Amino acid sequence: MMENFDVVIIGGGPAGMAAAVEAARKGVSVAIVERNDELGGILNQCIHSGFGLQYFKEELTGPEYAENFKNLVEQAAIKVFLKTMVTDISPDKKVTAVNEDGLVTLLAKAIVLAMGCRERTRGAIKIPGTRPAGVLTAGLAQRYVNMENLKPGNRVVILGSGDIGLIMARRLALEGMEVLGVYELMPYANGLFRNVKNCLDDFGIPLHLSTTVSRVIGYPRVEAVEVCQVDDKGCAIAGKEKIIPCDTLLLSVGLIPENELSLKLGLKLNGASNGPVVNQDLESSVKGVFACGNVLHVHDLVDKVTVEAIQAGKNAAEFALFNTVRRDEQSQFIKYSNNIAYTVPSIFNTSKDLLVKFRVRKPITGGQIKIFSGDQLISESRIRDFKPSSMEEISLKKDDLCDQAKGLSIILEEASA
Amino acid sequence: MTKYDVIIIGGGITGSAIARELSRYKIKTALLEKGLDIGLGATKGNGGVVHQGYDPVPGSVKAKINAQGAKQYPQLSKELGFEISNPGLFVLGFGEADLKVLEHKLDYGIRNGIKEIRIVDKDTVKDREPHINPNVTHALAVPSTTVVDPFEVALAFAENAVDNGVTVFLGQAVKKIEKQGQDFLVSTETKSYLTRYIVNAAGNHADDVAKLAGIEEYQMQPRHGDLLVFDREMDIKPQTVMFPCPGPDTKGIACIPTIHGNTIVGSTATMMDDKDDVANYKNGIDALIDGVHHILPELDDKKIIRSFAGLRPVVLDHDNDFYIEISKTDSHFIHAAGIQSPGVASAPAIAERVRDLLNDAGLDLPRNLNFNPFRPAPTIFNVLSELEKNMLIKNNQAYGHVVCRCETVTEGEILAAIKGKIPATTVDGVKRRTRAGMGRCQSGFCQYKVLSILAREQQVAIEEILLEDSGSQLIFGKVKG
Ligand SMILES: Cc1cc2nc3c(=O)[nH]c(=O)nc-3n(C[C@H](O)[C@H](O)[C@H](O)COP(=O)(O)OP(=O)(O)OC[C@H]3O[C@@H](n4cnc5c(N)ncnc54)[C@H](O)[C@@H]3O)c2cc1C
Ligand SMILES: Cc1cc2nc3c(=O)[nH]c(=O)nc-3n(C[C@H](O)[C@H](O)[C@H](O)COP(=O)(O)OP(=O)(O)OC[C@H]3O[C@@H](n4cnc5c(N)ncnc54)[C@H](O)[C@@H]3O)c2cc1C
Repeated sequence: MMENFDVVIIGGGPAGMAAAVEAARKGVSVAIVERNDELGGILNQCIHSGFGLQYFKEELTGPEYAENFKNLVEQAAIKVFLKTMVTDISPDKKVTAVNEDGLVTLLAKAIVLAMGCRERTRGAIKIPGTRPAGVLTAGLAQRYVNMENLKPGNRVVILGSGDIGLIMARRLALEGMEVLGVYELMPYANGLFRNVKNCLDDFGIPLHLSTTVSRVIGYPRVEAVEVCQVDDKGCAIAGKEKIIPCDTLLLSVGLIPENELSLKLGLKLNGASNGPVVNQDLESSVKGVFACGNVLHVHDLVDKVTVEAIQAGKNAAEFALFNTVRRDEQSQFIKYSNNIAYTVPSIFNTSKDLLVKFRVRKPITGGQIKIFSGDQLISESRIRDFKPSSMEEISLKKDDLCDQAKGLSIILEEASA
Repeated sequence: MTKYDVIIIGGGITGSAIARELSRYKIKTALLEKGLDIGLGATKGNGGVVHQGYDPVPGSVKAKINAQGAKQYPQLSKELGFEISNPGLFVLGFGEADLKVLEHKLDYGIRNGIKEIRIVDKDTVKDREPHINPNVTHALAVPSTTVVDPFEVALAFAENAVDNGVTVFLGQAVKKIEKQGQDFLVSTETKSYLTRYIVNAAGNHADDVAKLAGIEEYQMQPRHGDLLVFDREMDIKPQTVMFPCPGPDTKGIACIPTIHGNTIVGSTATMMDDKDDVANYKNGIDALIDGVHHILPELDDKKIIRSFAGLRPVVLDHDNDFYIEISKTDSHFIHAAGIQSPGVASAPAIAERVRDLLNDAGLDLPRNLNFNPFRPAPTIFNVLSELEKNMLIKNNQAYGHVVCRCETVTEGEILAAIKGKIPATTVDGVKRRTRAGMGRCQSGFCQYKVLSILAREQQVAIEEILLEDSGSQLIFGKVKG
């Protein structure tokens, strides 16, 4: 089967849906290709509330947030392919997918990548010990408990204090599992303050900072984990180990953008964010291919995903209509100080206003942020506390950007203690 | 009770290769394996390099058998439908002292019958491996070196054996061996088997199994090795199998390009007491990272997707050689023991040797005229052309349903594995056969789907499905809901 579309969107999570709706609003033909049997992406398994406060101005659960967008997709004339997995994209924008009817080929004028992210695993963090049943990621546990009503364990230790770990701690406690503690390598909790309070404190679940799981014990099922305090470099302190009997270890140790297809397409990736290199139009190094949502960089709030995806959808539609050619050879990388982990976009030009999103490497308590064009200071502002877990934004007007040849630098100066 | 001519104890690569070899003859053979799948011992925990034979001391059993076994691999891959790649191998030298060792190994290699083996200079290494440690001065090159997935090879041997009349019993740990006249009565917890001959291929437990028959000719101890698997997508990764200069008991920490495009880094070598301890150790993992950086200093160690470990079965006080012999106590009991590295490379020749020993011990071996050497390769959806994919789906919709996104594995492939000659019955059994769950997400996305398919096909509750060994349930029932 072969079909033509102006815009083809890969992935039907919140990012893909918002991009599709916005593109359709511009009057172009749009298709969404989604591997699962429904739209909604990861939201379908996030049954807790806390979504939509920014975008819909009301507190919704994940599935409710998804439902709002599913309705919009239905109302617009968008072709949705479900149970259809994209296996290849070529630089001339041929999208190849498979489903139960066979091979599906979609020819697009513009493409939006919205494949989301996956979780970091045990291997990635190299926990030594046995390899039994009972070690799983928080997202998989979320799927078992929230969508399939299945219990993946009884006595649970959680490694990682990101929001997913915190929310799963509460969920498992509510479902009658015993959560023995949340362990965090860093000296601070990675999730939102309100989640530490609502998910741990209110349930009497202890949070152990500067502590990691140093070994898995037991076979064929987890029987215990060894936890160990770490020093300020994150290295285990000998003699500070403790054995915690349990049957399950839940890992909530970070998310990684899912860029298999982007690599096949030959996109440049940004090693720091693990997403494609994009300019302020969210356009990648291949003309007419845009990226948004967790495939671009990991977001903590779905509302921000939506806003970003709307921009990607709009730009993709415009590209399909006008075949806008940008001269990216003139784009420049955005430079930044060492305490910033990455920026999105990672390149810019002076043709448009610029919204820079970034994350800090470690918590920063007060200071100032300075923006330079070349060596000319173009903006300066005081900052509140920054944490690696939350994404920050700076918005710059086109007129502020001066001469792009001089480059743009973002310097974060910490207040000296 | 059925009387077997030969019972093979142990379904690792050694036992499986022997089973296939014996299926060429008109005798009744059975293989008993304690695991719920074959290949769960050393065979699933190793580097998969088909060494050509530069390492073993010329004249040793190992030297002869290694070279003979390795030579058969390309042909076996065609007959048995397992994948093989030919990355070649370098043993790297850093300075003049190492060059002496390399020359020594060159001499071994030549005497062990390797045709293409030579010492090359730094530039030759650098041409092929641009990111090699700049301090490398020479290398011993063995271009014919191949790489396989040892589990896949063992499965192929065993399935072909089944096809040719051998019976494979899984979940059968041999607990008792009694003599009944000339014959043996071999018992597990649930069943007994009568046989004229026993082949002991029980890996790290070969001495324990021998002891069950009252045979105490050697003692064994495992040599533990940690290994790491790296992501397929890496800017800097090896094209060639690369070892440092070998030590007395081990070939050292190597980087190995696998047949699937990942990189394996292995292995450490530590004598242990516990014959079943395949945990990973922190100092082992650290040593591996140091080891690979000694070869490729810029390789990104953040790209690790999994660690695992294996135990090499070592017969003590035997010069690190294999122990393939007719028992001195009972001539109907054949040892295929102490199969440490390179047991994978050697397996085809070990099997022939065991066949000859059985013959020497009085077993008649009339040819099985119906022997079919071929086993069709399993369908791998991901590598097919677009046209082939389309045809496959039109014939069977299950191939249009992608279950594992990282490795693009379809439900059709999973069903084929579950319905195979040696069926996958566990989540890891499916993983080893199809690669579902072997990719970057390590089954975070597809484990539930694999569980559901297994439960549906076996018509049992999801709570009963195992990860690997008995007791490895993944699900403990329903939530309160
Ligand atoms: C486990 C987890 C819990 C979270 N909890 C919260 C929370 O409590 N609050 C909050 O505000 N945010 C939360 N987030 C973050 C927020 O939900 C995400 O940022 C948001 O869902 C990302 O949207 P997305 O569309 O980019 O990705 P996803 O929702 O992951 O959607 C991507 C979609 O693309 C599809 N896809 C991928 N590859 C292909 C392909 N090759 N072919 C076809 N389809 C494909 C996938 O099936 C999926 O449906 C959570 C994220 C995760 C991972
Ligand atoms: C870290 C490491 C790296 C290696 N790298 C390489 C390499 O690169 N190349 C190479 O050629 N070789 C390599 N090897 C060696 C290779 O893995 C082994 O030589 C080979 O797998 C041995 O196979 P086996 O069948 O003899 O033993 P195993 O695979 O251990 O099989 C023995 C079987 O016997 C079964 N068993 C035990 N007791 C009983 C009982 N009582 N009843 C029933 N069944 C029983 C076990 O369950 C097991 O399945 C490596 C080994 C290790 C550990």
